[in-house]
Amino acid sequence: MVALSWLRGLVTHRPTRPLATALGVAVGVALIASIGTFLSSTNSKMTHRAIARVSIDWQVEAQPGASPADLLSKVSTFPGVTRALAVQFAGSPSFTATTQGSTQTTGAARVLGLPAGYATAFPGELRLLSGSLSGVLVAQQTASNLHVVPGSTVTIARPGTTPTNVTVAGVVDLPYADSLFQHVGAPPGAQAQAPPDNVLLLPQSTFNQVEAPILAKRPELIKTQIHASLSHALANSPSAAFDDVVSRARNLESRLTGTGLVGDNLGTALDTARQDALYAQILFLFLGVPGAILAGLVTALIASAGADRRRRDSALLRTRGASTRTLVRIALAETVFAGVIGVLAGLGAALLIGKSSFGTASFGAGTVSAVLWALGAAIVGLLIAAGSIALPALRDARSLTVAGQRRQIGRTARGPLWARYGLDFIFLAIAGFIYWQASQNGYQLVLAPEGVAQVSVNWYALLAPVLGWIGAGLLVYRLADLVLSRGRIPLTGALRPLAGELAPTVASTMSRQRRLLSRAVALVALTAAFAGSTSVFNSTYRAQAEADARLSNGADVAVTESPGASVGVAQGIAQLKQIRGVGSVEPLQHRYAYIGADLQDLFGVRPGTITTAGKLQNGWFQGGSAADLMKIIAKDPSAILVSAETVKDYQLHRGDTLNLRLQNGQTKQLTTVPFHYEGVAKEFPTAPKDSFFVANQSYVAAKTGSDAVGSFLVQTDGTNPAVVAKRISSVVGSSAAVTDIVNQRVVVGSNLTAVELSGLTRIELGFALVLAAAATGLALGLGFQERRRTFAIASALGARSRQLGGFVWGESAFVTGGGLVLGAVMAGVLSITLVHVLTGVFDPPPDALSIPWGYLIGVGGAVIATVLLAGIITLRALRRPAIEELRDL
Amino acid sequence: MSEGLPLVRCSGAARTYGKGPTATVALQATYCEVFAGQRIGLVGPSGSGKSTLLHLMAGLDDPTVGDVSWPAIGTRDELRPGRVAVIFQGPSLLPPLTVLENTSLPLVIGGMTDKDAREVAHTALRTLDLDVLADKLPEEISGGQAQRVAVARALAGEPTLILADEPTGQLDRASGAAVVEVLLGASEHAGSALLISTHDMTVAERLPERWEMHSGEIQTDTREAQWSR
Ligand SMILES: Nc1ncnc2c1ncn2[C@@H]1O[C@H](COP(=O)(O)OP(=O)(O)OP(=O)(O)O)[C@@H](O)[C@H]1O
Ligand SMILES: [Mg+2]
Repeated sequence: MVALSWLRGLVTHRPTRPLATALGVAVGVALIASIGTFLSSTNSKMTHRAIARVSIDWQVEAQPGASPADLLSKVSTFPGVTRALAVQFAGSPSFTATTQGSTQTTGAARVLGLPAGYATAFPGELRLLSGSLSGVLVAQQTASNLHVVPGSTVTIARPGTTPTNVTVAGVVDLPYADSLFQHVGAPPGAQAQAPPDNVLLLPQSTFNQVEAPILAKRPELIKTQIHASLSHALANSPSAAFDDVVSRARNLESRLTGTGLVGDNLGTALDTARQDALYAQILFLFLGVPGAILAGLVTALIASAGADRRRRDSALLRTRGASTRTLVRIALAETVFAGVIGVLAGLGAALLIGKSSFGTASFGAGTVSAVLWALGAAIVGLLIAAGSIALPALRDARSLTVAGQRRQIGRTARGPLWARYGLDFIFLAIAGFIYWQASQNGYQLVLAPEGVAQVSVNWYALLAPVLGWIGAGLLVYRLADLVLSRGRIPLTGALRPLAGELAPTVASTMSRQRRLLSRAVALVALTAAFAGSTSVFNSTYRAQAEADARLSNGADVAVTESPGASVGVAQGIAQLKQIRGVGSVEPLQHRYAYIGADLQDLFGVRPGTITTAGKLQNGWFQGGSAADLMKIIAKDPSAILVSAETVKDYQLHRGDTLNLRLQNGQTKQLTTVPFHYEGVAKEFPTAPKDSFFVANQSYVAAKTGSDAVGSFLVQTDGTNPAVVAKRISSVVGSSAAVTDIVNQRVVVGSNLTAVELSGLTRIELGFALVLAAAATGLALGLGFQERRRTFAIASALGARSRQLGGFVWGESAFVTGGGLVLGAVMAGVLSITLVHVLTGVFDPPPDALSIPWGYLIGVGGAVIATVLLAGIITLRALRRPAIEELRDL
Repeated sequence: MSEGLPLVRCSGAARTYGKGPTATVALQATYCEVFAGQRIGLVGPSGSGKSTLLHLMAGLDDPTVGDVSWPAIGTRDELRPGRVAVIFQGPSLLPPLTVLENTSLPLVIGGMTDKDAREVAHTALRTLDLDVLADKLPEEISGGQAQRVAVARALAGEPTLILADEPTGQLDRASGAAVVEVLLGASEHAGSALLISTHDMTVAERLPERWEMHSGEIQTDTREAQWSR
């Protein structure tokens, strides 16, 4: 009862204290709950993206001797399978077509038999470029090789029998050719390097006619696959969906008793997604947890600013006969009050944030996890409230002596326990050691050994940034404390511009409150570091995501000529330059080069323009910056960049001659071309992930007698690349494949683009801003408020506003300046560490950190604005001496 | 007595705390003047309005009705630091500053260099035998010692008007008497006016003049009686 009436009194007369605590609680709760929302939305997004990236969920291949019809019926009746169609695969020695008097013949080719309704059952598998989908379809590259268009006739050579003719109805693109032509049952390493170039897709009946002789004589040459779609009502979490799909695939295989093997495309896609999901969780840990901890610390600091008053209240209650139990109960009542209000406000805010940022208001991926997230956030909120109000009150209740009231100010001869044991140094040392150790093996955070179903997180390596963060916070406290206790003379000097003759007095005042001030400095530094490192990480991540998409697409728009086409530099540039929206056109030669028996891609570049036109990054090369290496190639046309693997395999040293065999454009014969190894290229626009060469375009052209371009890298003039791509496509027709970076981002779907960070970081950055401003402004303001009496005395002694300002601004400058400077240093180190630790999300790792100056200046501005506000409010309140303050006691 | 302009003049100054039915009239409309060299004991029971009057005279508080002026000194802004010193009834030392720093603070505020101010403050502390406490913090000294430090702080600036609110409230008789002697000595030395509010008749008796307060009113007759004596 006493507790309740006390609470009522508190709320009506001094509501600032419980409400400030509630606000802190709300921030922490909102942050955690929003992260839950983020994770739930990312998880389900990742699952959906993984599903969307797959066209044929399962390709079940009939094993020798199995009956295709039987297999089809077994697969189509398997639970969860929504659609199953039998597709037949046959080989052909070659296709031939004669157009306008010239005859083209391909190499080995593939012929597929598609059942009726295939195109609608697996949308996206066939992309019609010209003609119609009903009838014989020819793959784009094949059409280009054979110079055929809809209406042309193609002759299919058949092993052991006479060739036969078909009439082309349409030209299609096969976006999923890789999985369509996969070797079902073979491990990823044993798959073909590239899908077949020459493909004809026949309607089932045509296929039967064409392949009838073969089916009769050598049925083993014809393979049947059942292409199946699964119900996509899968779990939101990629890992649960993965487990589900994989176990179902296994189940199907066991039911088929050896008659069919399942090519689990959906499972493969979900496997990548679940690794991404794990990364998302780690990102949450790195970006979210410090925020929640900071919210707690800020709340505790705000609450501790009222601690003196609370102690006085308690002492007063004590003298009026209140027992320890009553005091404890009062503290608990206040805790529950502030906690509950804070939790409710925080969850409410999280709902709003979730709705506006992610379009979802659920805190978790499922109902259970939503409840758990909300519950977890609420518990953290109550803990923050307890740590801020109940804990200090409890401590005081037990030792409520006069000495207990004298904590905030004083000589405090001995530092805190952790400082005496050097815990900050110990933490930093351990963090450094773990960081060093983990760097040795490339900082593998998510361990996904090939062939192992379990993905796991290397928690040990995560300790480095965590301990580093704590250690740095403590070290900042130690430094601030050191300046305040030992650096009185320089401090006085620094304060002189603000405080004039009062500088020594202000320095003394600050020195005697160094616990309070050091804590404030540490907190400001931590929040600044949080805001700084989060934003730097975020913008680096974004820049890198952009670079990744750019790397795989090569440029805003890439125009890749068909292998048969021979488009010259001048001709191609002239054609593309006149298309609206095209900014620059950079020709990139693409050849195949033999190094010994190995076949590798060779890219011929114009060294003068490629650095900017291809937006080359230094991180892609070794042995010099991008510009340096291009200069070398320009000066010495026979210079060549090779992959690190090739350097190792062939024991190359800089300057070594490298003889490659390239096809001559005229004679079509392989000729040996000498190069000099001058550097390493790890990545290059449009280049494959493995080995390739980069050489001088004109040198290659001269030596091979052809300046045929493989692809043109087009940068737009600012027009949306997708739009420009459409325009280019309509000009070049089926002679070249046109891809743009916008669609590429979706298709590539690497780690980077899959983990949608923008939602999380938007929340993070918002919270960081609020926390940084609150930590400084509120902590200082409330601290001043607590010391109104001190200021009132000074004012009663005749101190003018300007002189009181010396005290207020001196402290403010120390806390803000010290906090921001040390925080910036921490942010720098933390950002580097974060990028390094989370290197797995960066592929390739970034050249340099991207620093979002706008945001950082905004945070600095917000902090300074709140500090100014706190100071001005304090001074304004002191303009008239608060005689009531002096009447107290 | 009343040569020249008064240091402070209350013209019908009254002070009411609060509004409406709960309002407390702490000081009724008061007319009084204090001249240089006057030494007055302000006596009266607890709650009679002594502190309220002192704060008005010190310009730390505004009368709700009437006026307070300082004809011989100037405007309110010119009272401090230096001319008018107040010794508060309650603890009034700045907790984070040492005894010496507390004592020198008004001097530094007044424009003295830190070094000079420390010297003057040291002398003032010595007068009250407090120099041994110079480096202690307020929390490290007794309540009585703190009160004497407040006296030293008030005297260090050699003010023309000393307003002391129960400066002996927490002192034993002997040290109380000593403090009053110091205050009297200082006012005599500088020719400044001294107003001491007190419950203690032995303190009041040390002063040549006495004003008695009752329920927010100075009993004019006591003042007349004094003057006629
Ligand atoms: N801030 C305030 N709010 C309301 N009433 C007040 C306030 N300050 C003083 N009073 C009332 O004004 C009256 C005069 O108070 P004052 O402090 O001037 O008395 P005093 O003579 O100094 O008493 P004491 O000898 O106990 O110090 C008292 O009745 C007191 O309760
Ligand atoms: Mg009084």
